[in-house]
Amino acid sequence: MSASGEAMNFTLKVWRQKSAKDAGRFASYEVSGVSGDMSFLEMLDLLNERLIAKGEEPVAFDHDCREGICGMCSLVINGQAHGPERNTTTCQLYMRRFKSGETIIVEPFRARAFPAIRDLAVDRSAFDRITAAGGFISTNTGSAPEANSVPVAKPKAEAAMDAAACIGCGACVAACPNAAAMLFVAAKVSHLSLLPQGLPERERRVLAMRKAMDAEGFGNCSNEYECEAACPKGISVSNIARLNREYARAALFFSDHLESGSS
Amino acid sequence: MTLDSRVPSGPIEKKWDKHRFDLKLVNPANKRKFDILVVGTGLAGSSAAASLAQLGYNVKVFCLQDSPRRAHSIAAQGGINAAKNYPNDGDSVWRLFYDTVKGGDFRSREANVYRLAQISSSIIDQCVALGVPFAREYGGLLANRSFGGAQVSRTFYARGQTGQQLLLGAYSALMRQVGLGKVQMFTRREMLDLVVADGAARGIICRNLVTGELESYAGHAVLLCTGGYGNMFYLSTNAASGNVTATWRAYKRGAYFANPCFTQIHPTCIPVTGEHQSKLTLMSESLRNDGRVWVPKKKGDARAPESIPEAERDYYLERKYPSFGNLVPRDVASRNAKQVIDEGRGVGTTKLAVYLDFADAIKRMGESAIREKYGNLFDMYQHITGENPYKTPMRIYPAVHYTMGGLWVDYNLMTTVPGLFCLGEANFSDHGSNRLGASALMQGLADGYFVIPYTLGGYLTRGSLPKTGTDHPAFRQAENNARGRIDKILSVGGKSSPGSFHKKLGAIMWDYCGMSRSETGLRKALAEIPKLREEFWGSVSVPGGGEEFNQNLERAGRVADFLEFSELVVKDALERRESCGGHFREEYQTPDNEAKRDDANFSHVAAWRYQGAGAEPELCKEPLAFENVHLAQRSYV
Amino acid sequence: MRCFLEVLQSSIAKKISVALAGILLVGFLVLHLAGNLFLLAGPQAFNGYAKHLADNPILPAAEILLAALFMWHIAAALVARVQNRKARPQGYENQRAKGGRTWGSRSMTVTALFLLAFLIIHLKSFRFAANRSDLYALVMKDFQNKYYVGFYVLAMGALALHLSHGIQSAFQTFGINHPRYTPWIKRAGVAVAIVLAAGFAFLPVWALVTGGAR
Ligand SMILES: Cc1cc2nc3c(=O)[nH]c(=O)nc-3n(C[C@H](O)[C@H](O)[C@H](O)COP(=O)(O)OP(=O)(O)OC[C@H]3O[C@@H](n4cnc5c(N)ncnc54)[C@H](O)[C@@H]3O)c2cc1C
Ligand code: HEM
Ligand code: HEM
Ligand code: SF4
Ligand code: F3S
Ligand code: FES
Repeated sequence: MSASGEAMNFTLKVWRQKSAKDAGRFASYEVSGVSGDMSFLEMLDLLNERLIAKGEEPVAFDHDCREGICGMCSLVINGQAHGPERNTTTCQLYMRRFKSGETIIVEPFRARAFPAIRDLAVDRSAFDRITAAGGFISTNTGSAPEANSVPVAKPKAEAAMDAAACIGCGACVAACPNAAAMLFVAAKVSHLSLLPQGLPERERRVLAMRKAMDAEGFGNCSNEYECEAACPKGISVSNIARLNREYARAALFFSDHLESGSS
Repeated sequence: MTLDSRVPSGPIEKKWDKHRFDLKLVNPANKRKFDILVVGTGLAGSSAAASLAQLGYNVKVFCLQDSPRRAHSIAAQGGINAAKNYPNDGDSVWRLFYDTVKGGDFRSREANVYRLAQISSSIIDQCVALGVPFAREYGGLLANRSFGGAQVSRTFYARGQTGQQLLLGAYSALMRQVGLGKVQMFTRREMLDLVVADGAARGIICRNLVTGELESYAGHAVLLCTGGYGNMFYLSTNAASGNVTATWRAYKRGAYFANPCFTQIHPTCIPVTGEHQSKLTLMSESLRNDGRVWVPKKKGDARAPESIPEAERDYYLERKYPSFGNLVPRDVASRNAKQVIDEGRGVGTTKLAVYLDFADAIKRMGESAIREKYGNLFDMYQHITGENPYKTPMRIYPAVHYTMGGLWVDYNLMTTVPGLFCLGEANFSDHGSNRLGASALMQGLADGYFVIPYTLGGYLTRGSLPKTGTDHPAFRQAENNARGRIDKILSVGGKSSPGSFHKKLGAIMWDYCGMSRSETGLRKALAEIPKLREEFWGSVSVPGGGEEFNQNLERAGRVADFLEFSELVVKDALERRESCGGHFREEYQTPDNEAKRDDANFSHVAAWRYQGAGAEPELCKEPLAFENVHLAQRSYV
Repeated sequence: MRCFLEVLQSSIAKKISVALAGILLVGFLVLHLAGNLFLLAGPQAFNGYAKHLADNPILPAAEILLAALFMWHIAAALVARVQNRKARPQGYENQRAKGGRTWGSRSMTVTALFLLAFLIIHLKSFRFAANRSDLYALVMKDFQNKYYVGFYVLAMGALALHLSHGIQSAFQTFGINHPRYTPWIKRAGVAVAIVLAAGFAFLPVWALVTGGAR
């Protein structure tokens, strides 16, 4: 059985920052009466309820689905993106994982490309801009061929699905010592280049996404593999290898000329 | 006031084709002169925005989250239906149509449902072309499974993440249009009011959730794709941001709200563990294929499940429904769980759960077979509860999952406000009083990819709209309205958090307007909701200001709307003196506790019209005719 | 031209070029170690080998290429490191790994700088020594200083760490990653790193302890 019986107490060191312009600092809070069945976010809810009761401003943090799929929740907990557990988002991290009496440090995802909004909430729209640059297959509504007209080998479809499972949370960036966004970009490039439907735009896509990624100010990958370790969906760094490969192939052999000649 | 559903004439198979031909086309060169505002980026909003931008319209898109990809469609697990008949097991457009009308317990509009079934195939084609990695067979072709008790295998799926993959497909199409400059994306925006000028929807007022500023956007048409309102119950499978705000404000501007009391409860969710609970997590219904549902025969039996002997267990679904057993439909399974719990036979520390036991299945098929079939679900359960379902039975409980009700729309998906369209879960359209599994995803994408691109053009060519910019007085009025409401919330300065009111409202709704409803309960709710609302306006506490990122203020605004809307839900439930689908009135049941419809008096859509603050809303009825599917009583005994 | 611009601007091209130079440098180290092992065979053998090398007409070109590899590797890698620091202006209170990093990867910047210092001193004492007529004597003389030898051994520790991450990392950078082979590439990378570093470290220690061949 779970530790739901005994109430736990924690000291939280939480990053407070009123706005992007504010310098920010840590504030300490004692949270008592925490049940092991609470998720980390429910524990923060409890803290916020108590802060509101005292008329203080609650801690801002992003969340939505609370079931590990929307990618909205974030947090670096005791120095680890999404906390100590592997393959887990913060919203699916339960307090039974912690020891009563512990001090827990809670920080936002930190990266230049993820500017601060308030407290623990940051702006991850850089990912949307990277996607807008090339993370798609250009198929207009209505122009699709019959779904079964293009068979896809099962192992390829499965590998594409593995990569497509990325929830766009940004933990890879937060955990990467270089604040690199390679795992996120690699997941999308892999997903789409593994499928026959994605092949016509294969080169354009990887070149454009690389460019957009660098323009956002993410760091360079040096194969630290912390991204994979922190990724709540277990996206493998083998996707980064594929990205490197796809990129090299496109950079060396792709010709704009062929492209523009026909347009 | 009569409601004109604008269903085209002719045989049902020909209606949509005929209608598409009858709709006037917008001159391609003129499309870029039209600004379309799309609120919401779930399956409905993303697919609509991408498709319209690609036709040449200028599209502005709004969503609450920091990225359009995070709309709650992302959470759908099971799959999406389509009448492809790949398995050659007898499916057809007609059968999907029939199943949906029947599953909806005869409270949906036949013509809409038929169109949905017709379009379903193209949705799959489109999604595959966009790179959705659906499950496949070894031969490389698409795999199907049967879902939610359907007799044919027509469900397409991408592991347990179908909604995510479909949404990412639509999102990528949307982002492509953003890259091309045809769509302007506005994230972290909350629509707070609809602007109606000269009798047509011409814009919206949004709050920029980061800066707190109020922003006005003008356009030639507004599409609400803002999802369902299940969050009214506080605990549900919906995301935290789920709300009724956008549709409720539209209602107050003249859009009718249809069948608000039609809500769906899903039987297999992970139960509540305590006061702190903020959300209920759904577990796939497929678990009921092998799990056996039971509770102890004795009230308040606190023994561990393993030590309760076989003879003292009540496998109540198998007992009451010998032929369907544990596979009865969602509403029946949910209601029966509530019944045994109300009798004091619930299990677990909170007593708000029943067992779903796999011991027999494990004995029969072996643990590894079970692991192969349900491994990820079992892991999820263990992760959340800390219990090992291979060793001890799962505990499950029903939870609010989907809302069939929504803004009333005609065949063109237009509300009663000209130029205001409503798509996806936010409208009331296709599911009647009960939605079949894997049909919501289908509807959202049908609306966005394949219906609105035609019907919007029909509206825009109907007559010329006057030039209306954000300097129109209607914008100022709506903006002041929104600002007034925010200021009012901030000025209360009480002691209780918005969340605490949300919780209380949820309890009232769940107890009196949840899985089963009765006249006395509903009247009680009708007495308690206004009290709670008053309490809210007297003592809600929202620290901080309006001109900043203030999540508590957002929450307060949504709760305030739920506190008004819930009253309408209860009224609707009270008014519908019959049981149908997800709406179960205790007074109206068959001898074997089944929902008893009253087709003579209630074969209609109940659409409510706002008549001003404090005034009773007017009930308008759209009669439903069943010309193609014959009315029948459901029975599962 | 486009290719060159791409290398300068693109994170991925930069990283591939660093890895390419790095792997070629590993190749140089293998040859260099092999050549240095002539020290064990005594002055004639070693000086003969050195002369043989020096007489080779392509040596100047090879040396320029080698210098270019080193410079590119160092310059591009350090530029990347500087960019990486900027990518996270505000650090974490106490960043904790979740199981991806290794000692080698963690210490890349430190080992790199150590190796740079080593190279400068090393080249100054041997490649750019005033009198290089008896290279054997030159080397042996320096290796009698126990501090100098200690520094070499430390530097080879740094080399081992640098390559323990660097070799497998280069494979990943070239896009070579496969569930079946990658674990072996990782192990082989560490083995090569250790063998190379141990071979290089052995020579000065041997020289100090025995005073040279014969
Ligand atoms: C856990 C779960 C599992 C499900 N599984 C299935 C399944 O297997 N098969 C199936 O067919 N259906 C399933 N459903 C139902 C289905 O997922 C939803 O009905 C459907 O995805 C709704 O899509 P939508 O586009 O209408 O709305 P949503 O995806 O909910 O999107 C709503 C959008 O509106 C925005 N929004 C809301 N309010 C405002 C506002 N005031 N201002 C600005 N923007 C606003 C939000 O930001 C969001 O972008 C499931 C639902 C849940 C909760
Ligand atoms: C002795 C010779 C050296 C060899 C054989 C060598 C080899 C390598 C290799 C194979 C890599 C992996 C490249 C990748 O996968 O990206 C690497 C990385 C690196 N090297 Fe070296 N290196 C040497 C010397 C140096 C020196 C002298 C410096 C700097 C002063 C240096 C700095 C770096 C850095 C910073 C990296 C990490 C690059 C990144 O950010 O990915 N190296 N080296
Ligand atoms: C103990 C081990 C080593 C010994 C005895 C040694 C010895 C020498 C000698 C004698 C030379 C001069 C060769 C000539 O001018 O012909 C030389 C050159 C050089 N050494 Fe080393 N070396 C050792 C380790 C290393 C290491 C570890 C590195 C790299 C990190 C290195 C890099 C170089 C380079 C770059 C040159 C210049 C090569 C050239 O210009 O041809 N050496 N070394
Ligand atoms: S790759 Fe993993 S960590 Fe990165 S955004 Fe995707 S899911 Fe999050
Ligand atoms: S942690 Fe960072 S360095 Fe590369 S392998 Fe992952 S992006
Ligand atoms: S809140 Fe959606 S993933 Fe955590």
